Amino acid sequence: MFVGLFAVVLAISLFVVAVFVRAAARNEIDEELRLATTLFVRQLDARSQQLVGATRLLSGDFALKTAVATADHDTTRSVLENHRRRIGADLLMLLSLDGAITADTREAAHRGAAFALPRLLEEAEQTQDPTWVVPLDGGLVRLAIVPVLAPDPIAWMCAGFRIDDRTAVEQRRLTGLHVSFLRRGESGFTVNASTLEAAARRDLERGLAEARQSGVVQIEGSRHVARMEQIAPEVLVVLQRPLAEALGPFNRLFWILAVVGGLGLGLAILGAVLVARRVSRPVMALAGAARRVAAGDFDAAVAVRQRDELGELAGTFNEMVGGLRDRERVRGELERAERLKRFFSPQVAEVLSAGDESVLASHRREITVVFCDLRSFTAFAEAADPEDVMRLLRDYHAILGPLISRYEGTLERFTGDGLMVFFNDPVPCPDPALRAVRLAVEARDAVLQLLGGWRQRGYTLGFGSGIAMGFATVGRIGFEGRFDYAAIGTVTNLAGRLCQEATDGQILISSTVYAEVERFVEAAPLGEVTLRGFTKPLLAFSVLGMRSRELAPTTPGLSAGRAEPTR
Amino acid sequence: MSRRAGGALLLLVLALLATGGTPPASARGGHVEAIVKDQDGKPVVDAVVSMTPAGGPGSAPPTRPPDAVMDQVNKEFVPLVLPVMVGTAVSFPNRDNIRHHVYSFSSARKFELPLYIGTPAAPIVFDKPGPVALGCNIHDWMVAYIYVVATPHFAKTVADGKARLEGMPAGTYEARVWHARLRGATEATTKPITLTEDEEGRLTFTLSLKKPESRPAPRREPYEGPQQSG
Repeated sequence: MFVGLFAVVLAISLFVVAVFVRAAARNEIDEELRLATTLFVRQLDARSQQLVGATRLLSGDFALKTAVATADHDTTRSVLENHRRRIGADLLMLLSLDGAITADTREAAHRGAAFALPRLLEEAEQTQDPTWVVPLDGGLVRLAIVPVLAPDPIAWMCAGFRIDDRTAVEQRRLTGLHVSFLRRGESGFTVNASTLEAAARRDLERGLAEARQSGVVQIEGSRHVARMEQIAPEVLVVLQRPLAEALGPFNRLFWILAVVGGLGLGLAILGAVLVARRVSRPVMALAGAARRVAAGDFDAAVAVRQRDELGELAGTFNEMVGGLRDRERVRGELERAERLKRFFSPQVAEVLSAGDESVLASHRREITVVFCDLRSFTAFAEAADPEDVMRLLRDYHAILGPLISRYEGTLERFTGDGLMVFFNDPVPCPDPALRAVRLAVEARDAVLQLLGGWRQRGYTLGFGSGIAMGFATVGRIGFEGRFDYAAIGTVTNLAGRLCQEATDGQILISSTVYAEVERFVEAAPLGEVTLRGFTKPLLAFSVLGMRSRELAPTTPGLSAGRAEPTR
Repeated sequence: MSRRAGGALLLLVLALLATGGTPPASARGGHVEAIVKDQDGKPVVDAVVSMTPAGGPGSAPPTRPPDAVMDQVNKEFVPLVLPVMVGTAVSFPNRDNIRHHVYSFSSARKFELPLYIGTPAAPIVFDKPGPVALGCNIHDWMVAYIYVVATPHFAKTVADGKARLEGMPAGTYEARVWHARLRGATEATTKPITLTEDEEGRLTFTLSLKKPESRPAPRREPYEGPQQSG
């Protein structure tokens, strides 16, 4: 738009300049012609004055006077011819005071004839400037007529110079312009003498009427600016100059302006492109990035390196997006942390949410698995009100949840009344078996207390638990959007079987677990137990309780403050 | 002769000339006062008024008129107009220290005094009536006229345009006036006039004059008085 405006302004400027230049050129040409004409007429006058002076000089010649006074015509004519040559005139005449030709260098026979222009003699008596341009012998002649004084006038002397093409050429040398002398005849003006070629003369004669009005005449197909000056009755001088030639410098000026303007326009376009690159492009980039951000792509950044306001804007935008991205990441981390708390202790979840997800990759590790569930829960769920079922579960979970957190166990599964927790993964801990047993013991005590109330109401509910220890493949399983952190291996099956095998209030542990916790736990050996799915019978123990005196020192890192997860 | 005396002599000569060359009043008679004006009513100086007896000049006894002088002083003719009677011998003394070349192509008397200094030995006798325009071939501005009349009765107007003709015998005359710039013929100015003894006649002429001829202006040098003529 800016470039368009510039172009319009440029076009208007050029137009105005063109008009102005043409007018100025025309003025200048007119002025030049006027000056040239003035100069020309002056020159013509000067030539005439020279002619008059020369004629006066001749007229003062005593021999001539003597010849005239003695009426010796042959001698007079001979003197005239001699004198004509002295001043290089084309003709020299001697006229009597009453206007008859006494002698004439052109033709001896003219003697006695009346002078063709008697009015000139009358004018010659009066004027100080006795010179005329007159038609004579079919051409134009500049005449000077002075009296022959002896000392009173005894005759007129008339000298003449023809105005011919030579005269015109001479005048052209002075002004540099084409010069034409025209004479009015019966059929309009005819060119008598000129620097023009024959065809151009005819054009000038034809175009004269038009030229008198507009000052422009069409000659040989090109326009000429013409100026005419009347130098005598019926005699015109026309000075002319080709318009194109006169306009030449102005046209050059115009073209220079046009070229400069064009360059300016080019620069403006270039400038506009640069501005577009510097302004539009970053703005577009910003808009695109903003759209991407709106669509949730917080990696959208704008690559703007310029140091102006736009650069600043882009930088701020990038910072803003960075801020959004950080916030989003934090939010994502928080979300994930929330999710992870299902599986892990809050402490572990925090570690995970800090970004180290490598722990979730599938790996093999020795873990201690705790299974526990409510006995007769299915029958209870069928018999009891759904509200009661929900209340029981809520209370049950409220007991187990804090315990899992406190012992930093990983909650693997949560199915109504049953749940599975394992230790030593994803964060290793020094005493997974002990923690598992403690969790189970505390859970049993608390749950049995909870179930006491329900039993009084007639519901035969119980709590059982199984603990096993061994290697399992642990890691994230599932699919996009629904992942679980799961442990797969015999150890989980064993823990599950032991849990099924346990009677109400019983915590069954495998021999491996027992070997780990023997020092801290009171347990009764059950002997070999045959479990479904296991071909060989296994040694199992029932945990009776913790050896209370050794409870405290075995749980370093578990202070009372951290036992209750903050809410 | 001292220069002062020479000047006095010149003044005497000029005084004589100013009377118009009229012969001294030898006889008592009438006189005529003529007034000449131009077309604008201005007085005309240097016009020559002449009166011819009606019966013709033959009636008067031919007496040899006195000689006259046309001086050349400081590259000018003096006087400008010299009226003389037919048969007058006029001398042309050159009082400048350069030569003059006096000539006339007038039909009344053609002559030429080629470059000379001093007074030519022979004066020029003017024996035909009519105007004689004098020029100097080497000084274009030098112009003078000798007007030759066939009667002893003539006078030249002075600055107030008046000319006084003294000692006129009673009788009938034809009076006419001539001037160097007169348009037309002198004869056209002719007026008849009859005079009685001791009567004063009055004549008034109104002339149509041409414009003066434009001539180169003289380049004047301080006048140092006439040269000793020898």
